[in-house]
Amino acid sequence: MTHMLTFSRNRCTGVEQVDDQTIRSYCRLQDTLTDAYVEITARLPDLDITGVKGEIQRGYRETPEPDEFLQKVIGVRIGPGMLEIIKGLLGDSPDYEELGFMVEECCHGVILSLTKGTLLRAPRNTEDRTEFFSAMVKENIRLYNRCAAFAPGSLLVEGITPPE
Amino acid sequence: MLNFSRNKLVSIARKDEDTLLVHGILDDVIYGLEVDATVRISDMTFLSVNGKWNRYTTPECPKALPFLREATGFCINDKNITQKLQKTVGRKGCRHFATILIECCRSVKEAVRIIQWEAIKADHPNLTFEEFVNGEPREASYDSAEEKASPPHIEVREKTVRKDMPDARDSGGQDKTSGGFVIDLHTHTFPASPCSSVSEDDLITEAKRISLDGICLADHNYVWPVSRVEDLIQKHGFPVFRGNEVTTDQGHMLVFGLEKEIRSGGLVKIEELREAVEEADGFMIVAHPFRGFLTFGVGQLGLTVEKAMERPFFKYVDAIEVMNGKVTEKENGFASEVSAALGLPVTGGSDAHEVSEVGLYATRFPDSIKNENDLLNALKSGKGSPLAFRKEKTMV
Repeated sequence: MTHMLTFSRNRCTGVEQVDDQTIRSYCRLQDTLTDAYVEITARLPDLDITGVKGEIQRGYRETPEPDEFLQKVIGVRIGPGMLEIIKGLLGDSPDYEELGFMVEECCHGVILSLTKGTLLRAPRNTEDRTEFFSAMVKENIRLYNRCAAFAPGSLLVEGITPPE
Repeated sequence: MLNFSRNKLVSIARKDEDTLLVHGILDDVIYGLEVDATVRISDMTFLSVNGKWNRYTTPECPKALPFLREATGFCINDKNITQKLQKTVGRKGCRHFATILIECCRSVKEAVRIIQWEAIKADHPNLTFEEFVNGEPREASYDSAEEKASPPHIEVREKTVRKDMPDARDSGGQDKTSGGFVIDLHTHTFPASPCSSVSEDDLITEAKRISLDGICLADHNYVWPVSRVEDLIQKHGFPVFRGNEVTTDQGHMLVFGLEKEIRSGGLVKIEELREAVEEADGFMIVAHPFRGFLTFGVGQLGLTVEKAMERPFFKYVDAIEVMNGKVTEKENGFASEVSAALGLPVTGGSDAHEVSEVGLYATRFPDSIKNENDLLNALKSGKGSPLAFRKEKTMV
């Protein structure tokens, strides 16, 4: 048996700031079975979704009017709890499941693009970098034990009292 | 100019009749990482999972790698596979590794569809992939799909607990230094709230130990049956009230006096919930209205009090939770500023999901509260005031 690929997938998400108030985020999925595109626009400072469009250029599911289907997410604020709301609004039809997932990917992209702004301020040398991330945990204790880097025993949380 | 980009690539090859080799790459502006996994086709389980970092942010990120192995044995067809990966690989290790593994799982499902179709096609050469898929049982797609099989709806439950409750202060509980009746209005128990890890008994025991006057079980989209709560009151000799944290299209709302339940996994429009609360003569509080992000605050987005006041949900609520144990002090402070500007009553609650979190925040009412009607009246009076209960208690 050769090791030729049975399946390959490429998912690309991009985010750009259109103007002071508007962020555009898109997700393109291309794999062996599907070629689809979803785009959202979100408005600052609330990060509420103001526009959405989607299309499936190649697929095996029955997905008439994807654009119309996705309009349900307009008004959703990108932030904590958004996945629950997006899932609740779009429902659980397997035909449209991938489109819903792509909306979520667009939203994650927006959050990561804003996270990048914070991370750009991190110093380059290890000692100062450690201090920078440690200060970040102190500022927002929800980061404590959020992942291996912020777990007890990590240098980044040394001396920080865990939430009671 | 592109501000952020992320590429996820998954390649799947067949190692032998029953084994897939899966290679996943996540490469974005911030992180670069790869995973290699093997999956047994017959039961869709991970046989091995390994990974490596190419780029990361903190000096401690490499500590995430050993946790990848904890995904070994996970079944990709498990309806909770996403949550399991987020809880193990994501929370213990790194959520970006969980992200690429979730993408790998989604891809494996597609690859196996192709494999199954090709196997059947040997006997049915004219069967198209679309025909094959449409003949499949319609599997639920989202993890919670099984629970969401029925549309969200509001269901009538039992009547209110009206019997007078024991006063915690009569049974050894100590009065607060500042007086009043202090209730933690926002707590979660397991299994009613799957995200919680504490039983109702442990929660109540702790509330009693730290000298709260009462506790409110406000599980997600779940109304506690009256009989169960009455049993708890009798068992612990402690006031236990009922609330419900309902997920709406505008976020989480704490509702009181609503003898109806939003079925788990459902989502209700805030207007509909408001209507139901009004019909029941209940009370509705927006929970943690400015719960923000992990690495940046709402202030960095340029959110002002004036702008925040325009959020649509404020039109539908009776009060604002301005002290919540799951958000930062800044976010709580911002909620206070907005509530003051709006002139809406305020409350506090721990949002406890662990025993140690009970009573972090609570609400003090001026008079004793003996039953759920009293609680509703107290909430409606607008005389409740939030307090950092544990902190204040320590300082006394």
